[in-house]
Amino acid sequence: MQNEKTATTAPEGALLKVENLSVSYGHINALKSVSIEVFLGEIVVLIGANGAGKTTLLSSILGITPSQSGTISFDGQRIDKEPVDKIVRKGVCLVPEGRGVFASMTVMDNLLLGAHHNLKNKDKYLKRVFEWFPILEQRKNQVAKTLSGGERQMLAIGRALMSEPKLILVDEPSLGLAPIVVNEIFTILQMLNKEGYTILLSEQNTFKALKVAHRGYVLETGKVTLSGTAQQLLNDPGVKAAYLGA
Amino acid sequence: MQVFIAQIINGLSLGSIYVLLATGFNLLLLVALIIHFSYPVVVVFSMYIVWVVLNATGNNLLLGILAGVLSSIILNVVSAPIFQKVMKKRGEVDINSTMVVSMGMGFIITDILSHSFNHGFPIAFPENLTGSEPLFRIGLISVQVGQVWSLAIGAIAVSAFFVLLYKTRAGRAFRAIAEDPAGARLVGIPIVKTGIQSYALSGVMGGMSAILIAMLLHSASPGLGDMLAHKVLAVSIVAGLGNLVGGLVVGLALGVIEALIQGYAAGSWSNAIAFVVMLVVILWKPKGLFGIKV
Ligand SMILES: Nc1ncnc2c1ncn2[C@@H]1O[C@H](COP(=O)(O)OP(=O)(O)OP(=O)(O)O)[C@@H](O)[C@H]1O
Ligand SMILES: [Mg+2]
Repeated sequence: MQNEKTATTAPEGALLKVENLSVSYGHINALKSVSIEVFLGEIVVLIGANGAGKTTLLSSILGITPSQSGTISFDGQRIDKEPVDKIVRKGVCLVPEGRGVFASMTVMDNLLLGAHHNLKNKDKYLKRVFEWFPILEQRKNQVAKTLSGGERQMLAIGRALMSEPKLILVDEPSLGLAPIVVNEIFTILQMLNKEGYTILLSEQNTFKALKVAHRGYVLETGKVTLSGTAQQLLNDPGVKAAYLGA
Repeated sequence: MQVFIAQIINGLSLGSIYVLLATGFNLLLLVALIIHFSYPVVVVFSMYIVWVVLNATGNNLLLGILAGVLSSIILNVVSAPIFQKVMKKRGEVDINSTMVVSMGMGFIITDILSHSFNHGFPIAFPENLTGSEPLFRIGLISVQVGQVWSLAIGAIAVSAFFVLLYKTRAGRAFRAIAEDPAGARLVGIPIVKTGIQSYALSGVMGGMSAILIAMLLHSASPGLGDMLAHKVLAVSIVAGLGNLVGGLVVGLALGVIEALIQGYAAGSWSNAIAFVVMLVVILWKPKGLFGIKV
């Protein structure tokens, strides 16, 4: 199990590189000179309490929240001034906190929205998404508000896969889900990772997240205070005390 | 009975114009996120363009219709950056600022129409557009060719719009923005570009409305835009702001109610009575008959 978690690619150039990123909302400094790297084939987790800045970091990477200073590079190119739709085209997508599916639209519409920029390949990706999530195929003509929380999370992940991403940003997938469903979602993320998707995950469910991740960063009030391999973080006394309840 | 049938046809054709206008208005509200109160005033401006082109070309219908539709598309699309500039924040319907801009546009257009065209007198459209002979006539009431045409074209245009909305990529993006602008941006829908597409589509519908209104009313005046603007706003509010199906039903109903009042009671009171009916409805259902969808 532990051996399988070793990332497959050598870390020459990072797929995602965030350097000295600062973001503020008015006079609230949500991120203060944050630097993180994600390499191809990794699952990286952002750990932090409420308000630590996890959502802000993910939404700045996607171009939703503008930054005050610092740079974001993806695949060797600067993306920090690009509009969201260009960044999505480059292969970054976000599974937002609280799923963010379009409740009054059908499951099929939701999935096709994920493929808005590459509809010509939609059949190929629909087939794969339905292989991953057979339940979505059964429900494809149902409106999304009739789905359960776990199914919505699967729809949000399925929609992200439709966009042909290289890097999937996943914001607190476990939020509001029963433990058994959380396990299922994490297993799916792990399987997706083995298929070649790189994943940057934000989580408050620290133990489970570190169990599936290769590496992690600890965010505290907008600053990275600690980083390391998942195993190092699991063993860190500070992390244990603050996030693992030990 | 014949009067009844004739007035139903008249009412539906008038109503189909309200439907087209309310649909364009709602589309701008839902996707471009503006309250374009003066959208029907822009449509009346296009009617004047049709009239000018018909006069200049010896009543060449094809050119007149093309000019009407094109001018409407252009007028709508060029207003997009103005609206966007005043909207501080994309992704939120800033009712105050867009409404003020739209009303300002309406005043300017109405003033231009009353100063620069036909000395401010009402304009009349030629018979080759409106049709000369009524299809049939019962006493004072008649059904004109133009009415039947406007009903048919209106029905086709609205159906085509719904097909576009529910069966195409652009339509899906429109619906996504209408439901959740921030969510639509997040999945990679280009918000500004899609918004401009909605201006263009509203322009197409406005242009068609301009032609149909000309066929139906045979004339236009500078004050027509304001009158239509009030009705379209009323239809949209009574139906429920942003509710496209509601706009369809209420638009047709308003046309029929007006026609029936004209057929059976005092025609000159039709506006007042129709607005009283709508006032009652809105007191009874403040969110509109079909519910707000914004
Ligand atoms: N739109 C906003 N306007 C103003 N302040 C904001 C906004 N979004 C976030 N913040 C502030 O920025 C800080 C970081 O918030 P963020 O949502 O990134 O945290 P988080 O780590 O995702 O928290 P949670 O685990 O609760 O989701 C918080 O102090 C928050 O109040
Ligand atoms: Mg968050």
